[in-house]
Amino acid sequence: MSAIAPKFKLSEFIKSLLDNIFWIVLLVSLIGIPAIQVILFYIEMPVINGELLTPFLAMTWLADPSRSLPILKAFMATDMFRVMAFPGFGFAALIAAGTIFVERKMLAKLQLRVGPFYCGKIEGILQLMGDGLKLISKEIIIPAKADKPIFWAAPVIFVATAAAFVALIPVAPGWVVADVDLGLLGVFAVIGFFPIITILSAWSANSKFPFIGGIRALFQMVSFEIPLILSLLGVVILTGTLNLSEIAASQSSFPWIIFLPVGAIVFFITMLAELERIPFDLPEAESEIVAGWLTEFSGMMYGLVQLGTYLKLYAFAGLFVVLFLGGWNGPMVVPPFPEEILTDGIVMGPITAKFPGLPLFDQQMLNGTLWFVLKTVGVIFFILLPRGVFPRIRIDMLLSLGWTKLIGLAFVNIFIALGLLYAGVLGPGGLQ
Amino acid sequence: MFAFGIAAMAPALIISRMVSPRKRSNPVKFLPMECGQVPSGEGRTHFMMQYYPYILMFVVFDVMAIFLYAWGSALLELPKSATLPMMGFLAIMFGAMAFALYQSGRRRIW
Repeated sequence: MSAIAPKFKLSEFIKSLLDNIFWIVLLVSLIGIPAIQVILFYIEMPVINGELLTPFLAMTWLADPSRSLPILKAFMATDMFRVMAFPGFGFAALIAAGTIFVERKMLAKLQLRVGPFYCGKIEGILQLMGDGLKLISKEIIIPAKADKPIFWAAPVIFVATAAAFVALIPVAPGWVVADVDLGLLGVFAVIGFFPIITILSAWSANSKFPFIGGIRALFQMVSFEIPLILSLLGVVILTGTLNLSEIAASQSSFPWIIFLPVGAIVFFITMLAELERIPFDLPEAESEIVAGWLTEFSGMMYGLVQLGTYLKLYAFAGLFVVLFLGGWNGPMVVPPFPEEILTDGIVMGPITAKFPGLPLFDQQMLNGTLWFVLKTVGVIFFILLPRGVFPRIRIDMLLSLGWTKLIGLAFVNIFIALGLLYAGVLGPGGLQ
Repeated sequence: MFAFGIAAMAPALIISRMVSPRKRSNPVKFLPMECGQVPSGEGRTHFMMQYYPYILMFVVFDVMAIFLYAWGSALLELPKSATLPMMGFLAIMFGAMAFALYQSGRRRIW
């Protein structure tokens, strides 16, 4: 017999289900519906087809598919959609989830294992969901002497900071959450917060392994921040702007990696160090200091830190693509939206359905997203690959690498960019 | 996006706290992790930071590296003669960094 629930009774199970349903209905009707009414009262509703959209109209239109598309389009133009779904959190979390699965399978294949195998029948494709359920149902144990408010807040702030980083990455022309003129400086500012969060969580845990791991993380991120900043100066010199969308748009004929390969290599290495990935995973070196600054995190807190780490990985890969690989630029491969659907509607036998408001996405945006995702996936693959190939390096080697070799190469990169500019190869009068 | 991150992730911790079991507590369970041993001493000890000079160098050179962006983003509008003082700035920065690295390598004076 199963040992999971030895005193299982069907009647009690049904009773608990009914209890839960009762409480959900009660809470929704007492709190949820009034809350929605209050929120709708204060939100400015958009004007669609010359009519002000009231909640009542929205409900009636949602029942009619031919009239619900304008509502969907109006929703997609809002900041809410951008933050939650497409260039923001949902999109990034989806890519992060894919990255975790691919990393586990690929690492297993590199080491002649099979990796996740049973969950979801096909090659363990639902393993991530299973892990999420496991993490959320595990008890969170906090050390007795820990500084509890900061210790609770650290994983949440880590994910939120990674999300703020994701917000700055342009995915397709016009599709970016925060299109700021000083986007690159904003990226540096956000990156500067990660060591602070790390050292906060390490200090608040009041334990030895997180403490050592936090200090290592501080050293590593601090010593690799300067080569990271200097290696991107070449791109800024050649484009003359700090706006990430404009930098991506400036590479319509060729990506900057052709002219600045040194900067791209330096940025890639510093990226590995900032992400704490092998060969630079000193802050969470499993075989030396248990799990480094993650040692005391348990249950969902650890899950949140993992989610934040992979969001950060996606954001760094996206930054590499935007700065060096041309962002969304690429040959047009997405076919145009068929004209006859716009003019005649969809004809299925005797039924003809007309949908005003199509197409939902324009061709430029779909094509840009496709190329951005393809390039980002390629960069993520190259970030994952060293984990199966390289050993971990010592901390003095890490510091001397960051402070002497990479900074020297970053200066070489700056002079390459200046030389290209003043020789007239690039810039005004040159190729661009 | 930062606010949305907090608003979306805090419920995950709250739900986890509601769903997860919290039973059978004993003082050993809430001790800090020390590989199964009973921990000895304080968690926040005096830890010798052998590479302290690098932190000092970061404080100076991070600001200098950010200053370069003000020049780099305006370079296309500047006259060519404005590059020469910037080369002097880079030389000073590079020389100072080399000297600081040399000093940080001399372990016995730290």
